[in-house]
Amino acid sequence: MFARLLQHEWRVLRADATVWVVGALFAAGIGYGVLNGVRWAGFERAALRNAAAEESERYEKMQEQIAGLQQTARPVAAFGDPRNPTMFGSRFGPRYAMLPVGPLAPLAIGQSDLLPSYFKVSTDARETIVAASEIENPHRLLVGRFDLAFVLVFLYPLLILAVTYNMLSAEKEQGTLALALSQPVALGTLAAGKVALRALLLVGIVVSFSVLALLVAGVSITAPGALARLALWLTAVAAYGALWFALAVLVASFGRPSATNATILATLWLVLVVMLPSLFNLVATTLYPVPSRVEMIQAVRVASDEATGAGSTLLARYYEDHPELASGGAEQAMNDFNAIRVAVDDDVAKRARPVVDRYEQQLARQQQMIDRLRFFSPAVLMQDALNDVAGTGTPRHRHFLEQVDRFHAQWRGFVVPLIFQKARIADAAAAPRFAYEDEATVAVARRVVIGALGLTVPAVLMTGIGVRRLRRYPVVA
Amino acid sequence: MVKRIARKELIEMLRDGRFRVLSVAVLAVSLLSLAVGWKHYADVARQHAAAQAATRDQWLHQTKKNPHSAAHYGVYAFKPKSPLAIVDTGVDPYVGVAVWLEAHKQNEFKYRPAQDRTAVGRFGDMTAAETLQVLVPLFIVLMTFSAFAGEREQGTLRQLLSLGVPPRRLALGKAAGIGAALGLVLVPSAVLGVAALMLTSDGGFLSGSLARGALLVAFYLLYFAITIAVCLGVSARARSSRLALVVLLAFWFANSLVASRVVADVASWLHPTPSAVEFQTAMDAELNKPGEMERRLEQRKAELMRQYKVDSVDALPIAFSGVSLQEGENHGDEVFDAHYGRLFDTFDRQNTVYQIAGLAAPMLAIRSVSMGLAGTDFQQHRHFITAAEEYRRLIQRTMNGDIMAHPTTRTSYLAGRELWEKVPEFEYEAPATSWVLGNMRWSIGVLFAWLLVAAAWMSRPLATAML
Repeated sequence: MFARLLQHEWRVLRADATVWVVGALFAAGIGYGVLNGVRWAGFERAALRNAAAEESERYEKMQEQIAGLQQTARPVAAFGDPRNPTMFGSRFGPRYAMLPVGPLAPLAIGQSDLLPSYFKVSTDARETIVAASEIENPHRLLVGRFDLAFVLVFLYPLLILAVTYNMLSAEKEQGTLALALSQPVALGTLAAGKVALRALLLVGIVVSFSVLALLVAGVSITAPGALARLALWLTAVAAYGALWFALAVLVASFGRPSATNATILATLWLVLVVMLPSLFNLVATTLYPVPSRVEMIQAVRVASDEATGAGSTLLARYYEDHPELASGGAEQAMNDFNAIRVAVDDDVAKRARPVVDRYEQQLARQQQMIDRLRFFSPAVLMQDALNDVAGTGTPRHRHFLEQVDRFHAQWRGFVVPLIFQKARIADAAAAPRFAYEDEATVAVARRVVIGALGLTVPAVLMTGIGVRRLRRYPVVA
Repeated sequence: MVKRIARKELIEMLRDGRFRVLSVAVLAVSLLSLAVGWKHYADVARQHAAAQAATRDQWLHQTKKNPHSAAHYGVYAFKPKSPLAIVDTGVDPYVGVAVWLEAHKQNEFKYRPAQDRTAVGRFGDMTAAETLQVLVPLFIVLMTFSAFAGEREQGTLRQLLSLGVPPRRLALGKAAGIGAALGLVLVPSAVLGVAALMLTSDGGFLSGSLARGALLVAFYLLYFAITIAVCLGVSARARSSRLALVVLLAFWFANSLVASRVVADVASWLHPTPSAVEFQTAMDAELNKPGEMERRLEQRKAELMRQYKVDSVDALPIAFSGVSLQEGENHGDEVFDAHYGRLFDTFDRQNTVYQIAGLAAPMLAIRSVSMGLAGTDFQQHRHFITAAEEYRRLIQRTMNGDIMAHPTTRTSYLAGRELWEKVPEFEYEAPATSWVLGNMRWSIGVLFAWLLVAAAWMSRPLATAML
């Protein structure tokens, strides 16, 4: 029976020209979205390659220079000498901390165009280092990208609603519903058949065209971790689709005319996809405003002025905290400019920390609030899940930043003792390197599954209510 | 006659439940976004003004030091917020708020506010501009799709035309009625917006902002007129009101949500920008070009010795260390102008593509004009970047000039407050409205072209197509 229903529905849908037009537009959107994502991932990879090349070239040149300097006794200005640990740590030797592009990055550009994926880590203050940004036309950042995630978050539900809003009401209006139900078939089964076929069709288009476009663009879906992420992506696509189909079933169960259904569903789409996300942003940024960074700049500057003024006292205190560094006698190093610099930087960082923390705490509060609110907007849930799968979301970037912080400490830990020992760098290659450790796939999966549950649970509830209501569906107008 | 038709449309609309619900929604959203925009503006304007005063204070209260040390200490320039950012925040969240003006280097603007927000911010800001560009057109679509198609389905259109009403007048009357209804919704927010502007801006800014505000209102009216004309034109031609609705909703979706993204992508394919590391590497290579500084210094030395008629640098009556520093600045300035200039020109070209693409989707044009008049587009950001950089160069020239005028060894000469005060306070003057309109010429042209075509489309082949 069910198979026959599907067959019949397919015949009806196939004869409808608009279905074909809509399907073609959808496929084109998917193709263009994937292409755009692939281009961006390519740009990012090239940028990372360029950074790595710049670093290795710089190191090669530096090692040559060091070798040359060690052979001749020719004096060289301290600031032009890469063996001088201060200059090495801040100017000659900085290494890049890079966030690699994930295997399925083309699926969603996410935050990757806004949050930089490489930092040049030196002995400079942490805030200076992470304030770097990638070059992009701000106007483009404002309008966003046409990537696959955009097609899925905005267009996909719209198409689901376009093919489902009148699935029962149209038959009722044409009078064919009563005719169909005079056969031995329940209304629930009929509706299930209609939904099943449409779901198969749309999810089929999304999945097949996306995967096809990825393959055509040369994205390897068998790279390590890629298949697991692809499975997560499928889960998200299915869950998001389920939610919108459930919404359509629920609205259809009220037995209103097609035009009313269309209005209700379009309004719901507008509210859930377009308005609520901006409203959440508005609420979060108004309740927990992050003050303009100018306050931080000023705080750091005041701290730095005070610390510079107190330079030598600070150095004495620094030696008290780090007696192991006072090898050559504190007296002798006291006047050493570089040592004072270290102590000053250290003090500035300490004083600036509470100010910087305020920004981060406030942002964390915003995030917490959004993390709760997002369960009211399927669009936000879906976007987060897609970003997670692609590795372009905020959590992965935060994970990266934590490692950058650690590497920064490691870098200073390498350079600072050398400054105090008045040692020279003989082998630049011995300087620490950054190695990114990616999040465990399980952690990503956990977030995506929570998001998918946030979509599926309401979908199941709405379907349940809808199916119950269908029993009392007015078959004739 | 037109007046009577308009009145009928208006009354009909006011009695329509949909209109009441929708207008309350639009009004609520626009008031909310204005209120939040106002609060945000007030906060940031206060923070930036305080910081600007503090940075000046720090500059003046430096200890005695060598002018070049002072140049290294530098000052910060904080971007002031335009009062009309209450209406349209434009690219403000995506450009840095401050730049450090120091010796040797044109730094980049740091700290984009968007980086201090969650990812949900990327769905868009709920600003008054967003409401006017996205929600109000949707409101117009929903109120007008059945204007002709509905009457035809009810059979009243045939009657109406049989009375000898010229179709063009009918269309004009309907447009006027819808416009009046729209006015009822938007006038309250406009009045409140102006009040908020008056509250926030001090005397000096008021004149400029009001002119810009008035233009902003005019262009939004133009945009709504275009939307109404397009909608009525479709409604007059569509076979059924349902088809009219579908076509118009598709137009709304493509125009307000899809076109921006597609065009911004295409623009960056046409005019690609380098990555930050590529940009920096290329610039550094030119800054440190081997032999370049030596060549320039030799040339300056020769020039100066000829000028002062001496035969050694030591015999010069000015400190050559200052000359050398300034020559370094001159070299840097050339390189910065070339590299940043090329980058910003590329952004400008991308934005011009965006403006021209308004021919396909008028939303792109009104978006550009709105940001431009609000003072929050990229070109005005660039204007500020240029002003800040000019000020940096002024500091360098003043400091290096002072070093030149004190021929002792570079490190032993110390200057004090007198010199710091020679550098005037940084005062940024926003560009004139005419300059902004000049930048927006493409978009303005596009909007007028749309108006002409849409008006013709609305009124021309009405009679035959309508029945």
